[in-house]
Amino acid sequence: MKTAIYIFIGIVLLLIETAISPHISLDVLKPEIGMPIVLYVTFFLGPWSGLAAAVCIGLAEEGLSGAPNGSLLFVTIVIYLIASMMRRKYFVDSKYTFAYFSSGSVLVQSCLFAALTFFAHGEMRGIFNIVFYMVPNAITTGFVSILLFSVIDRLNNLLMERS
Amino acid sequence: MRNSIAIIIAILVLVISFLSFTNAPFVARSYAAVKTGIGSVLGPVLNVISKPVSSIGGAFDSYFNIVGAKKENRELREKYEKLYVENQKLVETERENARLRKLLEFAQKKPNTMIAASVIGEDLKNWFRCVIIDKGSRHNVRQKMPVITPKGIVGQVVEVDLWHAKVMVLNDANSSIDVNVEGKNTRGLLEGTGQNTVKMKYVTKNDDIEVGDKLVTSGKDGIYPKGIPVGIVITANKGKAGIFTDIDVMPYNNFRQLDEVLLVRK
Repeated sequence: MKTAIYIFIGIVLLLIETAISPHISLDVLKPEIGMPIVLYVTFFLGPWSGLAAAVCIGLAEEGLSGAPNGSLLFVTIVIYLIASMMRRKYFVDSKYTFAYFSSGSVLVQSCLFAALTFFAHGEMRGIFNIVFYMVPNAITTGFVSILLFSVIDRLNNLLMERS
Repeated sequence: MRNSIAIIIAILVLVISFLSFTNAPFVARSYAAVKTGIGSVLGPVLNVISKPVSSIGGAFDSYFNIVGAKKENRELREKYEKLYVENQKLVETERENARLRKLLEFAQKKPNTMIAASVIGEDLKNWFRCVIIDKGSRHNVRQKMPVITPKGIVGQVVEVDLWHAKVMVLNDANSSIDVNVEGKNTRGLLEGTGQNTVKMKYVTKNDDIEVGDKLVTSGKDGIYPKGIPVGIVITANKGKAGIFTDIDVMPYNNFRQLDEVLLVRK
């Protein structure tokens, strides 16, 4: 149930971001909203829930982006795999730790996407763009994930922890 | 054990997505069908969300504009706010009318060859320059349809779902358009950079081109019709090493402020 709610929240946030973008020029301040949701679900609800979140969020992101088929799902699944391995070694004890993980995941995602484009398609044209936005995206995502963590935590306390 | 199965499934999904990315025949087709299905589900929801979002955007503009007035006259603030917001709405409606009138005039020049559409979203990633429009395969929108405004070229349709379509804007890093310099014999390839300006390539140093020259589509790329305005040359550097001139072009359209567009039927 929790997994479904988090995935639903994630997809709604992605849709809102897409609809807002033409009205407010986000450009360098465009946060990655899907990744923090995948990380949160993987870290706190386990690998199965994380897998479901990664597949749903990855596919939704592809549906709302002009990225080549399979590319965003690929990078989301890789991030999920890394997160599910880190889950046993690291502990997310605060929203700030979560923000670091989220920012890190955006950096890894950008590098992975650039590598995928270069090695699988042999294309260099888009790489400059990806590198240009890599750090601003990571910073913005870090701040947004602090907010997201607090909202989800509050939602947990208010609605989901009740017996 | 259960967790290992999740990891194995994840790796399988990873392989499928990679095969789709590399266009492996069967996988790519099935994956594209799944993606179209997802797009068809998300499209109507996006339509619903984009309507209140655009009104909130208008309200924000109005709010920022009246901050100064608040300080000047506290007593009349509420009345002023209400009137101002109403006035802003009227001004916005007037602007929208003017925009739509222009679109209509443009479309009437070639009746039955254009489909009007509204921009309802923008690409989630800032790596790509892509906008989402509210017309899809149900409205006879097809892939590779040129998208224009009365000012000039916007881009081409790259993906079509049932309810909406994605348009690759001409400043996307993957976009290329064959162009001519208006009134001259010079021809080149306009390539997106991912930034506001685009590059005109393969123009040799002895070709006739200078700052201020206007570019139009040549019609030779098989996608865009001939003679549609594209942009204006803002730098033409012949001092660089090599045989080609380094040319920057500013497109006529501001792609961050697109509201309505026209799709050209072939």
